[in-house]
Amino acid sequence: MRKVVLAAALFWVSGVATAALDVEVLARTCNNCHGVSGVSVGHSMPSIGGLPKEYLKTVMKQWKYDERGAATMNRIVKGFSDDEIDALAVYFSKKRWVPVPQSVSAKLLAKGKAAISENCEDCHGLTGSDPDEDAPKINGQWAKYMQLELEKYRDDGFKMPHRKMKKTARKMNQADVPAAAHYYGAQRK
Amino acid sequence: MHAIDRRGFIKALAAASTASILSIPGAHAAKTKARVVVVGGGFGGATAAKYLRLLDASIDVTLIEREAVYTSCPLSNEVISGDRAIKTLQVGYKGLQKRGIKVVRDEVTQIDPVKKTVATASGKSFSYDALVLSPGVDFHFDAVAGLTEALAQTTLPHAWKAGPQTLILQKQLAAMPDGGTFIIAVPPGPFRCPPGPYERAAQVALHCKHHGKKKAKVLILDANDSFSKKALFEQAWKELYGYGEGGMIEWVSGSNDGKVERVDPESKTCFTGFGEFKGDVVNIIPPHHAGKIAKNLGLASFKDRWCEVKPDSMESLKAKDIYVIGDACIGGELASNNAFPKSAHMAMSQAKVVAANLVAKFNALPAPQAIYTNTCYSVVAHDWGFSVVHLYRVRDGQWVYIKEGSGISPVTFGTKEKPEPVPRIYRRLEVEYADGWLRNVMADAFA
Repeated sequence: MRKVVLAAALFWVSGVATAALDVEVLARTCNNCHGVSGVSVGHSMPSIGGLPKEYLKTVMKQWKYDERGAATMNRIVKGFSDDEIDALAVYFSKKRWVPVPQSVSAKLLAKGKAAISENCEDCHGLTGSDPDEDAPKINGQWAKYMQLELEKYRDDGFKMPHRKMKKTARKMNQADVPAAAHYYGAQRK
Repeated sequence: MHAIDRRGFIKALAAASTASILSIPGAHAAKTKARVVVVGGGFGGATAAKYLRLLDASIDVTLIEREAVYTSCPLSNEVISGDRAIKTLQVGYKGLQKRGIKVVRDEVTQIDPVKKTVATASGKSFSYDALVLSPGVDFHFDAVAGLTEALAQTTLPHAWKAGPQTLILQKQLAAMPDGGTFIIAVPPGPFRCPPGPYERAAQVALHCKHHGKKKAKVLILDANDSFSKKALFEQAWKELYGYGEGGMIEWVSGSNDGKVERVDPESKTCFTGFGEFKGDVVNIIPPHHAGKIAKNLGLASFKDRWCEVKPDSMESLKAKDIYVIGDACIGGELASNNAFPKSAHMAMSQAKVVAANLVAKFNALPAPQAIYTNTCYSVVAHDWGFSVVHLYRVRDGQWVYIKEGSGISPVTFGTKEKPEPVPRIYRRLEVEYADGWLRNVMADAFA
């Protein structure tokens, strides 16, 4: 309750002057594609609520300054100031991470487990919930989205920045790509 | 096991959304509850109703809509080609009811802006403190001689409102023989879904290509001289289906006599100023204007077609406490030819501006800044899509189109002098994102 009152008080103070930064207003524009509180229901669109602040900041700024390829997001973020991007990153990082339920195939899960222990586990962990500092949580992230991300890393025509991710994604067998994505997508915790 | 997971997920979703949104403490608990009536349960109206309750659960929100089920217009061109089941585009109003919104299935017949009441066909009356009008569009059938509303519901569907007509057009296309001609007649702009007719052309061609109708023709008779995402469409048409002389898709611009003036429903012949074109399937999209309920109230002050509104709040320029959103309104940076596109995403963005504004107003808080965004995907083949994004802010009480945060998918890579093709993965990704976008906007508006 105290938190709510404080938020309202800030709302009071900030509104009058010039267009003070109102992160709620900005964040609502993200909801269309990434869901309320950053919990996506679209298989190709990532959930973003509860991802690490640094990761969100880095990715958005890489798009803004053309250091990272994208099909759509690189155009969208260019309209936001660095301060707005930082505020959005903080805002979504404070949301709860909600793993999304996806249909699970035991066969693909087993194949995926083998694939991730060889390629992904070192940095992303066994379940993807407690990754290295610069990596996003991926437990219960949409498998379809993660598969598409891996395909970006594997494509010569796609500009991706992370050397280690690029190298690892490219040495994976084609069939291991959806399997690894499926495995992490199936992790509930 | 799966059902339990899903239930848990829905619960978690609900918890996540209530915990996160700024809710106003009982600032007006002492006063009577503010009453908002929302007319029209499309993407705009549904979003307005939902966000009003999300931001301030004490507001009494009534949504009046004549249909029990909403069918999304976005991605409905894929239904026409047979690539998508129409039920993937349909949603009811249970999600909004669970949020405490009173959903009334009825038709609004009269609005009294002085008494601030809304009357319906079934004889009900609703009082409001604020009225949100999201009535969509109505069609001007008389603009094309020979065309009637009855014909549109049977042999000459426009399918510019997704639903039964979408399925009629799908059946007509399925029955079209090889060598047949599918005519799409595009009205003068601005119209709902600016890239829609051209995406439809591609989806029709896709159907023909996959069903052995190699000699079929898709003829676009256009009242305009250019169109949304033109370079992207022309590139895709050429590469995928053949475009222009000898190709499957042909486009006739307005200045090349493309505007259809008259139709003979019997022979399915379209007449332009000087030409006549016989089709096997004739899809005339009639010119349209703000929904009748807004137009009849005198709110459509822009060329007698669209409702003008205030940039910071979406309040009508013509009537106090009435907010017009969605395809019925006109906004954006008109002087630079950057009007708001008439799209679902844009309508939702406008709805969120209205909701934030009204909640601030009811609680005697300063108005929050207004920001408007749009994302619109076009799918031209199973592995080929592209998009346009828009960003508008409000400065000094005027809409400003933010060029840096707007624009279409790249047509080419490389430099102007040495262009290179865009790798296919980009086009493929945008087909996937179109589907993800659809699922998320449906949830953001209706769940």
